[in-house]
Amino acid sequence: MLFLEAAPASAPTIDEAILWAIMLCPLVAWGLIAIYVRKIPVAAGYLAILGVGAACVLSYVTLFNVMDADGGIAIHSHEWFSAGDLVVNLGVRVDGLTAVMLVVVTTVAFLVQVYSTGYMQGDAGYGRYFAHMCLFTVSMLGLVLADNLFQMFIFWELVGLCSYLLIGFWFHKPSAAAAAKKAFIVTRIGDLGLLAALLLVWTRAGTFDVTAIQEWATSGEPEGYIVTLFALGLFAGAAGKSAQFPLHVWLPDAMEGPTPVSALIHAATMVAAGVYLVARFFPVFEASHDAAQFVAWIGAITALVAATIALVQTDVKRVLAYSTISQLGYMMLALGTFGYVAAIFHLFTHAFFKALLFLGSGSVNHATNTFDMRQMGGLKKYMPVTYWTFIIGSLSLAGIFPLAGFWSKDEILLDAWRHDRALWAIGLSVAFMTAFYMFRAIFLTFHGEYKGGQPVDHHDEDSHFHGDPAHPHESPWAMKGPLIVLSVPAIAAGWLAYDHLFKDFIEAALPHAESHGSTFEIGIAISSSVVAVAGIGAAWAVYMKRWVTSESIRATFAPFAIIFENKYYLDRIYEDLFVRTIFHRGWNALLQANDRYVVDGIVNGSGRLAREASSRLRVIQTGQVQSYGLGIVAGVIIIAVAVITANPL
Amino acid sequence: MNSLDVVGPQLAVLVAAGLVLLLDSLVPQQRRLLPVVALLGLIVSALWTTSWVGRGDYQFLFDGTLALDKYSVFFYYVFAGITATVVLASIDWVNREGRGQGEYYALVLTVCSGLMFLAASRDLITIFLALELSSIPQYILAGWGKDSKSSEAGLKYLLLGAIASSLLLYGMALIYGITGTTLLPEIAAAIKADGETYRGLLIVATILLIAGFGFKMAVVPFQMWVPDVYQGAPTPVAAFLSVGSKAAAFAVVIRIFFEGLDADFLSDDWSMIFAVLAAASMTLGNVMAIVQTDIKRMLGYSSVAQAGNFMIGLAAISVAGNEFTLGASAILLFVAAYAFTNLGAFVGVIAISQRIGSDQIKDYAGMWKRSPVLALAVAFCLISLTGIPPTVGFWAKLYIFNAGIRADLVWLVLIGVLNSVVAGYYYLSVARQMFMGDAEEDKKFRASPSITMALGAATIGVIVFGIIPMPLMSAAQDAAEIFAR
Repeated sequence: MLFLEAAPASAPTIDEAILWAIMLCPLVAWGLIAIYVRKIPVAAGYLAILGVGAACVLSYVTLFNVMDADGGIAIHSHEWFSAGDLVVNLGVRVDGLTAVMLVVVTTVAFLVQVYSTGYMQGDAGYGRYFAHMCLFTVSMLGLVLADNLFQMFIFWELVGLCSYLLIGFWFHKPSAAAAAKKAFIVTRIGDLGLLAALLLVWTRAGTFDVTAIQEWATSGEPEGYIVTLFALGLFAGAAGKSAQFPLHVWLPDAMEGPTPVSALIHAATMVAAGVYLVARFFPVFEASHDAAQFVAWIGAITALVAATIALVQTDVKRVLAYSTISQLGYMMLALGTFGYVAAIFHLFTHAFFKALLFLGSGSVNHATNTFDMRQMGGLKKYMPVTYWTFIIGSLSLAGIFPLAGFWSKDEILLDAWRHDRALWAIGLSVAFMTAFYMFRAIFLTFHGEYKGGQPVDHHDEDSHFHGDPAHPHESPWAMKGPLIVLSVPAIAAGWLAYDHLFKDFIEAALPHAESHGSTFEIGIAISSSVVAVAGIGAAWAVYMKRWVTSESIRATFAPFAIIFENKYYLDRIYEDLFVRTIFHRGWNALLQANDRYVVDGIVNGSGRLAREASSRLRVIQTGQVQSYGLGIVAGVIIIAVAVITANPL
Repeated sequence: MNSLDVVGPQLAVLVAAGLVLLLDSLVPQQRRLLPVVALLGLIVSALWTTSWVGRGDYQFLFDGTLALDKYSVFFYYVFAGITATVVLASIDWVNREGRGQGEYYALVLTVCSGLMFLAASRDLITIFLALELSSIPQYILAGWGKDSKSSEAGLKYLLLGAIASSLLLYGMALIYGITGTTLLPEIAAAIKADGETYRGLLIVATILLIAGFGFKMAVVPFQMWVPDVYQGAPTPVAAFLSVGSKAAAFAVVIRIFFEGLDADFLSDDWSMIFAVLAAASMTLGNVMAIVQTDIKRMLGYSSVAQAGNFMIGLAAISVAGNEFTLGASAILLFVAAYAFTNLGAFVGVIAISQRIGSDQIKDYAGMWKRSPVLALAVAFCLISLTGIPPTVGFWAKLYIFNAGIRADLVWLVLIGVLNSVVAGYYYLSVARQMFMGDAEEDKKFRASPSITMALGAATIGVIVFGIIPMPLMSAAQDAAEIFAR
């Protein structure tokens, strides 16, 4: 037998300037668009493509360089700020994980920008759109390149801001504005956890450096519960951003944004940032098995809940949104079962096929003016390119051999199998549902009779729809091109699993590069393939052959269907309990009381004065000055009493 | 070095004040030169300050009552910069108001000299005199406007300021009674020698000092005048009050408490008082700011909340060696950052309300379309007030929270962080109005040249020091060095 000694990873030799330039290219494009060419839409589009394209080329340069170094780590750090013993660095870190993320982000961003020049054609906010997209790309690249948690946090918030701006891009639509707000607030809840983790590591470890934190967590120096708390804080942030149960509710609503935004931000990159964060601090989760267990179960629950809801959606984009949540749950499940490689591999393949699917749904929308599958059908003959690329994306997502999704999903299921059979069973059932809902969507959208789409409302000023929904047509090349290009990785990205190529590459980014599970096991592969094919077959039987009607299935499983259709009532619970009861009744009542008794008193006082325009003496006679003076004296007395009571003399 | 050299920066400013008055009465047709003379005086003052930096022979003069050290130098720059910005921001308003132009600039310059003296004083009597030198012109300035609201503001400020001053004097008198001296280092020595027997009295004196200066800083519970006076006073004056007298009050409080009252048996007490006041100021200021509809009132409450942030630095006195200066340097950085940021915000308000004739936040809607650069500059200042990168306000907040954490005041920092979230809500909702709201009219406008200069300087400071914070921070750390022990 031949044992291949893995070559020890050396530090990549890539020039630091190139790494900064990756971020700088779209930043310059953003600046130019924001300042000069908002008014010249065409130029904005090309500038954005140019900036992101340059970043994309440099990302591939980086990737090959890191590959030459066998996935070694290079860190370039500069002191940015120091206060006492707190040092904040400004730096870039490049290793296998970074390189993969760079390539994913810039490739998808580039294709999405190209696609957007077709999709957003004629929109009043065309220039603004590309400016926001560039800023998002910068932030996402900054997040990926950061060598310390602090810098990560800054970019983390920035991608959140961009997401907010882009979801609410058509802010004249109340639903879009509401969705943007919801996304911002819900992810902020998770970010509070991340902030707490930041504070914790700051007070306990005294550093933000990624490597130092990894060492700190694994050194055994901090108490176990501290590491667990830190890990859970990180995961809270990740759960918000990656739409994990129960914070997933913002992502489906985020579909109010333009579809290319959904493809880039809410499918391929930003929502994967949570997975990236957990992977970046993977050793911390290894050090805390409790936290890892928690991550695994949240991931599994998310995958299951989202997949079941996806079964009953009628809006093709929402199907994809829930599918994204479900797949992100898969990734978290993998991380929690110590499948670091499997998670990143799935992130990698998912980015391509899910972006492809979203862009496909956008193409359909471009032809029919709707996302409602009940108004579609039969589009296969009108839009062959969209149809076939959509099929490729769906097969990949469903995990059909030999497409990309098959390889990555398999690794996740294998890790789950080795860790906990219950998690594996959940994963397998999700695989069935995934295949089912994707092909349900395909059959409803592309097969059968065309139902006419959504008639154009000419009174709607925000509508930028130009075609005729009654006569759907294939999309322009700007949109078809990216679909075709994305089909390639959707098919082939999984083949990187060959000979542990991908595994060795990104494992070198971990401080203790030992085997983190997962190769290939034929039994798992067969079981998941059987399940996926069964899912497709079931969808075929119900929606093509109509051997069983969907109505009768719904009637049989009515209680479940109702729960799924109502999205487990989570939105209702949040609305009623948190927003209405606690926020409106409680907090607002407090503010109102404050308004009535404190503010109004003061405002009315001065308002009356202004109206009467009275003499200076009157001012004193209102009693306000006396009461203010009394307030000062009372303050002194209260402080004195408090100090003396707390600390007897 | 002779003694006059030490008060050069103050003298330069005062001479400029005199020149402005003379020029106004002798050459009334050349009124537009008045602000130029005022600015020249400030530039001379800053150059004078710079001339020391190279020499580095810092010392105490006038029998030790005035200190020429890195600390006062830092504040000389800050006050000269603040006053210059205020002068620039005042030009349009003063021209429109017409009357008493010379007096206005002279008063502004007098305030500046008072603030400078305050930062350099290390004797209770000098401190009190400097405080009054800066306060009395401020009372007049607050009532400078023609409308009754301004008069109301001036009178209110005067009466309440008198109460605060009297409390301060009581406190000083008590300290003099206990220690027999008014010089800060001698006070410290006397307290350390046998002050513990008078601990009760000392605490009362400390509280009275806190009340007196707390009024100037605008911290709870001495903040009630703030929204009324900010709203009523002419906006440039409100800007001056919100930044200048707050900074000076912190400057002198740091000196008194870190230099004079730093005895171990006392410092725990006052650092706890500061911590509680900080929490109260942040919370009350922010909660009240949310419901404001008038931007000047909102900025008033916001300045109360910001004073709470400053105060975290005062509370963060941990006696452990080097970290002792962390709280002080945090405040200094915050002072500088806040000066840029809040002046920027106020100048932006001046620019906008000049054109739209309203201080209502709802009237800021659509400002982005009407005056993009102005809207962007104000947005950056608001972001900096919230404490979001890449602005200087972010580093200031980070530094001051760091000081708090190092002093084991994690609870206070948590309150601070939560308050930042609340603050983000109302600061950013103004920004949202400007960028996403619909303007009732979309006539474009530009700010006047002087306002543009002032706003430009402030905003560039906010952004440049937001990206490269180190120079400002080293300056703050150097200045705080004098408290190392």
